[in-house]
Amino acid sequence: MALANLRGRVAWVFDEPDFDVDQIVGVKNIKIKDVDELARVAMSEYDPDFAGQVRPGDLLVGNLNFGYGHPHYPPMIAMRHLGVAGVVAESFSPGYWRGEIAMGFPQVACPGILTAVGRWDEIEVDWSAGVLHNHTRSTQLPIEPLSESDRQMLEAGGLVGYLHARDRQESTS
Amino acid sequence: MGQTIAEKILARAAGRDRVSAGEDIRVKPDYVIAYDFPGYTDVIFRQMKEEFGIDRVAEPDRFALFIDHMVPATTPAEEDLHKITREWGARNDVPVYENVGIGHQVAAELGYATPGAFVVHFDGHISQLGTFGTLAIGVRRHLLEAFVKEYIKLKVPQTTRIDLTGRLSPGVTSRDVFHHIVRTLGPSACRFHVLELGGDAVADMSLEARQTINCLAMFTGAVTAIMNPDDKALAYARARQRKDLEPVFSDPDAQYAARHRIDISDLEPVVVIPPSPANTRDLSTVTGTEVHVGYLGSCASGRVEDLRLAADVLEGHRVKPGFKLYVVPTSKEIMSQAASEGTLSRLIDAGAFVTSSSCDYCFGRMGVMTAGQRAVSTGTLNVRGRMGSPDSEIFIVNAAAVAASAIEGRIADPRPYLEG
Repeated sequence: MALANLRGRVAWVFDEPDFDVDQIVGVKNIKIKDVDELARVAMSEYDPDFAGQVRPGDLLVGNLNFGYGHPHYPPMIAMRHLGVAGVVAESFSPGYWRGEIAMGFPQVACPGILTAVGRWDEIEVDWSAGVLHNHTRSTQLPIEPLSESDRQMLEAGGLVGYLHARDRQESTS
Repeated sequence: MGQTIAEKILARAAGRDRVSAGEDIRVKPDYVIAYDFPGYTDVIFRQMKEEFGIDRVAEPDRFALFIDHMVPATTPAEEDLHKITREWGARNDVPVYENVGIGHQVAAELGYATPGAFVVHFDGHISQLGTFGTLAIGVRRHLLEAFVKEYIKLKVPQTTRIDLTGRLSPGVTSRDVFHHIVRTLGPSACRFHVLELGGDAVADMSLEARQTINCLAMFTGAVTAIMNPDDKALAYARARQRKDLEPVFSDPDAQYAARHRIDISDLEPVVVIPPSPANTRDLSTVTGTEVHVGYLGSCASGRVEDLRLAADVLEGHRVKPGFKLYVVPTSKEIMSQAASEGTLSRLIDAGAFVTSSSCDYCFGRMGVMTAGQRAVSTGTLNVRGRMGSPDSEIFIVNAAAVAASAIEGRIADPRPYLEG
């Protein structure tokens, strides 16, 4: 099974390096369990109308070492609830990366992305070609390949699906 | 071509002669460790059974559970979580360690830091087992994989080597050294790499001082940290180790992604400015800032030497009235030693609030701050809201600076208190 391309608009560019994702919902909201409420407060510090503008399939863009600090899961739970389909960043912090890949949420390392896109550009991640296209600007950039287990985890929709897939594979091999 | 200590450990745990950085491998952890925490252990226990139909883990000796967060419980829900953990442990013949201290430290005391062993946890601060030549990686929710599969899949990380040279001045600790590494190389210098530390400064350091540095590796972007175990580390670990393994060491011609050399001789006490673990400065840039709370403890700091140093600073002084100094020894063993040698009495007599070991002061469950308050802390992290209100602030400093600031009610340089 191949990973489907991600295609959508750049819903936001986080240009701060070492970005602490908890800021997406705000630390005071990090313990909110209700996903609708989380989604309502998400991005309010950045763009109060974010929820009104974002569309299913849109992507977030980040700078170097995205997810640094002590990342919690609620910010990206809120983002997925709003339809965000993945994050493309210059590079990622390992703890954040592992956590979100386990949730089946695509993360794409793409050096150069920050200066190659603007908000609302239409971009596409082509996993098999290893390329990110900016359709608005007709440009492209190479993306970093996923490790085998990360790729399989995204294909399976997350950690649990991935482990089931391995069960099936191991019982037939 | 030679191999790093991390590659040798992973090769053995993968049942192979050698592995190389970048390879995808299957590897069997020697130990799988966790503390109970909502969203982690409760979910793992449930998924094991409901998703994978597994009632009991296959090799219970490979597993260890700690109850160190939410200790003591303050709500029935917290106690429920602990009860589930105890019951799961009893059903699985997996040991559950409770009231003995912070698991990342106690794991070493109990011999899970076996030199040459490969360990996984969901929490990255387990990296401190690297002090004893153990490769210990925090994998967050991927820990489920180690509960339901004998082997986990892993991409062999590259290794970045840092040699520390020189000698620390009095009042400067390994805590300062770690944050100085982040300041010097940046918060992503070791991203996805193993951080291997060595050099004559490491050789001079106590095991406790090394544990502090290795504990915090994640803030360089590293997946873990490790040191080639010397006689000091082997003497501690071999007396306690749970498994007969040959220690391994990096070859002289091992391949590193990068090598750095950092001289720590002229290092001054540092501070990590809120709200990011990336903001390291000299302590002198913030001395005089009013602070209200001091926290001396955590899996990073809070060991016997830290407690002694704080007691030395406080000698002949008292905690400023109204200032709250929380002292939380990292483990029961440490607390007991600090008590029997008189260090705890010195802290108590100076006005510290001393409590049994718990993670709770570090993550804002106990001793919390309200809006506008500031802490000096040896906790792991200074992000917003970590110790209470999102509008409070945490300045990370060494144990001596926590004590000096407690005397003055302002961020203070500890060195004058240690002279004479």
